[in-house]
Amino acid sequence: MKRPIARPTAVAADDNALVRAPRAFEPAKVEIVEPAFDPDLDETLIAPPPRPMGWAARAAWTAGGILLSAGLALAADRLISDLFATNAWLGWAGLGVLGIFLVAVVILAAREVLALRRLKVLDALKRDAALATAENDPDRAKGVVTSLEHIYAARADLARARQSVADNVPHMFDGHEVVALAERTLMAPLDARAKALTAASARRVALVTAVSPRALVDIAFVIYESIRLAGAIAALYGARPGFFGFWRLTGAILAHLAVTGGLVLTDGIVEQLVGQGLAAKLSARLGEGVVNGLMTVRVGIAAMRVVRPLPFETQPQPMVRDFIPELTKLTGDAAK
Amino acid sequence: MPQNPTKIVDELGIALANLADAATGSFTPTLRLGVTGLSRAGKTIFITALVHNLLTGGRLPGFTPLTEGRFIGARLAEYPEATIPRFAYEQHLEALTAKTPYWPESTRRISQLRIVLKYQSAKWFSGMSGPSTLNLDIVDYPGEWLLDLPLLGLSFAEWSAEALERANRPGSGREAQPFLQLLEGIDPLKPANDGDAEKLALAFTDYLRRSREHGALSTLPPGRFLLPGDLEGSPALTFAPLPAQGHSMRSTSLYAMLEHRYEAYKDQVVRPFFRDHFARLDRQIVLVDTLRALNAGPAAVADLETALTSVLACFRQGETNVLLRPFVRKIDRILFAATKADHVHHTSHDRLESILNRLVANATKRARFAGAETKSLAIAAIRATHEGSIKEGGETLPTIIGTPMKGESLDGITYDGKTEIALFPGDLPARPDSLFEDGAPVSLNFLRFVPPQKLDRNAEGDLVLPHVRFDRALDFLIGDRLA
Repeated sequence: MKRPIARPTAVAADDNALVRAPRAFEPAKVEIVEPAFDPDLDETLIAPPPRPMGWAARAAWTAGGILLSAGLALAADRLISDLFATNAWLGWAGLGVLGIFLVAVVILAAREVLALRRLKVLDALKRDAALATAENDPDRAKGVVTSLEHIYAARADLARARQSVADNVPHMFDGHEVVALAERTLMAPLDARAKALTAASARRVALVTAVSPRALVDIAFVIYESIRLAGAIAALYGARPGFFGFWRLTGAILAHLAVTGGLVLTDGIVEQLVGQGLAAKLSARLGEGVVNGLMTVRVGIAAMRVVRPLPFETQPQPMVRDFIPELTKLTGDAAK
Repeated sequence: MPQNPTKIVDELGIALANLADAATGSFTPTLRLGVTGLSRAGKTIFITALVHNLLTGGRLPGFTPLTEGRFIGARLAEYPEATIPRFAYEQHLEALTAKTPYWPESTRRISQLRIVLKYQSAKWFSGMSGPSTLNLDIVDYPGEWLLDLPLLGLSFAEWSAEALERANRPGSGREAQPFLQLLEGIDPLKPANDGDAEKLALAFTDYLRRSREHGALSTLPPGRFLLPGDLEGSPALTFAPLPAQGHSMRSTSLYAMLEHRYEAYKDQVVRPFFRDHFARLDRQIVLVDTLRALNAGPAAVADLETALTSVLACFRQGETNVLLRPFVRKIDRILFAATKADHVHHTSHDRLESILNRLVANATKRARFAGAETKSLAIAAIRATHEGSIKEGGETLPTIIGTPMKGESLDGITYDGKTEIALFPGDLPARPDSLFEDGAPVSLNFLRFVPPQKLDRNAEGDLVLPHVRFDRALDFLIGDRLA
């Protein structure tokens, strides 16, 4: 029998060293480390802003632009002087055409700038609306409604909705109620049409994929349809993007697709797989059709979420799930 | 030890009535909306506005079934109980929309109304069978009667002690003096005598009436003394509080007689009122006229809080077990509403709501603990003012614009009920607790305004009643049942 033994394994900590005496300080001396509270904006709802360019890229673009425009100016100058050298009459005509070209370019550029600004306005509007809802700020919300009315002022299809909003807003005192009203009356009809556009595009893509002879054809068609769809949805919500605007829009949509994988939080991947599996059982081409159709649906949803000027609060978010029955039905019909 | 407000027989009756409702309700469900509020809190106006807005599909952007287009319409229906008068919706509306509109007179008797709501459910199953209907039952009654509900839990001795303590408070000295003097001259142990009882009851009623006129005091039971209805002069209303008697007394003494009458009052007047109208509610809105209490000062505010807490403790709130649902009805949603929100500028509504929250804090805690959902809002069922701002001495004051009622006065000017003014009623305190403190000088003055003069009409030619957040109140109270 051994006797029980106890041995210390570490030196006992000196308790007194840990106790700190209470002291008081002047508040001015304190460095405040409280984290700033941001009313929780759903980050996925707001498209990430495009990353600003670095100085090198900027320098490269600027220098390249200068060179290019100098070259173009030189070419134009030489062309005109050549024309004058041939015949004075021809020179004057060339100069006139050049003038028309320049004016048209200026108008186009102005339009592009406007379109870009409109995209920015929509983005800012979404932020404003989210803030007005979070803070229940009636003035901010009424500002949002005023800009919405401005954006849709020329839309004949929204006349009644605009009137109803204008009638009700003066009698409301809560920011989130005002935003909800605007969303229910102005956004809901647009949402329905955007969904219809998306569904139609997806159907076309699925059908073309199912019957197209070459893989390259369907890829081309998917890209074509996606671009068309994004443009149509943007125009529907009042963005009317021009060339550069569309470029930015595409970037935002791609970024959105990259962040969410094209899935909305509540979307189950299972349903998609089931839908595709069923179609694929019927025929491999039909399965591909459904896959391509779903890709288009995702582009449509991403476009909606990027350009819609109000966040989804009262209206249900569009989900991939909503479009599956239509796609599978179509492919089922085609298989018969 | 507080007594149970109901007896076992009542409970049986309530359970059977609930069962009958559940049986008929499987075809057309009924929703009983309890409109609760002390006198002059705005119950009648609220019900009138509710009925009118539902019947005409008024301007209610926050009422989800209507904005989603699922609300089809409403009509008034026969109330199942034939013995109770119908709520005089048409007369009240007429008063509000007359050429010179006036607020309906204060309610003097009980009345009720049933509205049938037709809607299409958005739910998959209920929506399949086409439009559904829901009966909405509402009862209007004098707010004074509500103060009787806490009596159900008090014995005569307890109530007497409470009432005498209140009468002896320094604040109510002047009004209570005649009654207290009379009480001193009467020996409660002497043989019962109707003359004495009547004299005491008369003096007591007088005291109650005068103290209501002088202050904005809310806690003055028994309520039927102020508004007796058809019970005037009956023995059940001929009693008064008496000081407690230590030793045993003969059953023929005055004290015994008054105690007996008090019990009769509880049994025959208060308990049926409670059992028939308040024990079987589904939803409740508690209307609180905060501004009137604020006008009257800290004592009135504290009084209001006590009254609200004790009255609301009588209601059955909370979730119901699924199995017991045919037998038990409980209030599962309570809305606390600070009424007359149109009497302050909308920038003050947040503070008004926080004052309301402070007043009903105890009641809210109790309801939440029981499992009921609560919400508080600053509302105005009918908006009598519009808003503007005015520049004075370099600062911009938010004002409300309206016509003060005849006899309202501010700064020595008494208004004739015809002049429109812009009023800045003072800033509501940011800290609600300061309203309860005596020393704090609260410089507030809320005037009462006449109803809106010019009303819009909608496309169907119906009058549109302007309001403040009434749609949200409605949405919270019945919106989910029309889902």
